[in-house]
Amino acid sequence: MKRSIQIGILTVLVVTGTAFLLCGIFFNQVSSVLNKATHICLECIGIG
Amino acid sequence: MAKAKRVKDEWKRLTVQAAAFLLQNPKLHHFFLGTIEQGKTKAVCVPGLNCYSCPAAIGACPIGSLQASLSGGYKKPAFPFYVLGFLLLFGLALGRWICGWLCPFGWVQDLIYRIPFFKKLRTFPYERFLRWLKYVVLGVLVIGLPLLSAFKGVLVPYFCKYLCPSGTLFGGIPLAITKYSSQTGFAFWWKVGVLAAILLVGLLISRPFCRYLCPLGAIYGLFNRIALVHLDYASGKCVDCGKCEKVCPMGIDPKTQFNSAECIRCGRCSRTCPTDSLIVRFGLRMNDDSHKKSTI
Repeated sequence: MKRSIQIGILTVLVVTGTAFLLCGIFFNQVSSVLNKATHICLECIGIG
Repeated sequence: MAKAKRVKDEWKRLTVQAAAFLLQNPKLHHFFLGTIEQGKTKAVCVPGLNCYSCPAAIGACPIGSLQASLSGGYKKPAFPFYVLGFLLLFGLALGRWICGWLCPFGWVQDLIYRIPFFKKLRTFPYERFLRWLKYVVLGVLVIGLPLLSAFKGVLVPYFCKYLCPSGTLFGGIPLAITKYSSQTGFAFWWKVGVLAAILLVGLLISRPFCRYLCPLGAIYGLFNRIALVHLDYASGKCVDCGKCEKVCPMGIDPKTQFNSAECIRCGRCSRTCPTDSLIVRFGLRMNDDSHKKSTI
């Protein structure tokens, strides 16, 4: 893969990733992850 | 002399892996209390497969968070922007280097494989077929079934519930021992069985979970061709001694598969190479003129 193509793909994907992160923050998905992660998911770990 | 340096470098990697485990799980007192860490940092995804129900974890597992979002963890099924953003950025920067250096369960498998007395295998029969299983796990257990369950209005993180050995080892077993022993049932023992099977196979072959089943590795592998951390191969220097292939923990040939989605950038091939033809670098790749064509 040529370096210029790699730079192009990387740039597009970094912008997309950053946009996704910002959208996630905008749609309040951060607090949802926090809420999920701070409760013991008994089902997830095979208990309950 | 060279072998001594190689062994020393390998211990360095194991030390980095141990440090990564402690950085992602620093609140060790929760292991004894049977509670889990509740801090605000748990809103942030960690790069490796580190269960958010691990008592000491200060971050969220990206695969757990992905399923939670798809299966209605955000009250209704939603496009998981936040988690995918993390995965994209981690993947673009580091690719599967995360598997080789930061993943707690990868570290456990590396330690298990070092136990002697068992005949070590480089690959299994039907290896190529088996390696595709992780994409099936990603498609079915992480995305498909949780999404379907969301339409029924229930939250079922299938991968976490039925397969994830990291959750069992770092979350399920410690919590079952300290506080929840009366609540263990079929699901718990099923997952203990899965964990035991993976660890037993891990005595014979290096990193079986990473090779065949890990959906996070499947995602990061997609970025290996363009990630900033990459394996450079200079064909002009190579003397075809085959040492790199023998030491590769993922059972690939680094000379021809340096761009492979299977390469975890652990650097063992690089440390073994007598002519420095293989080097793990961070940054943009050199143009392909001085390299052999890579096969997946």
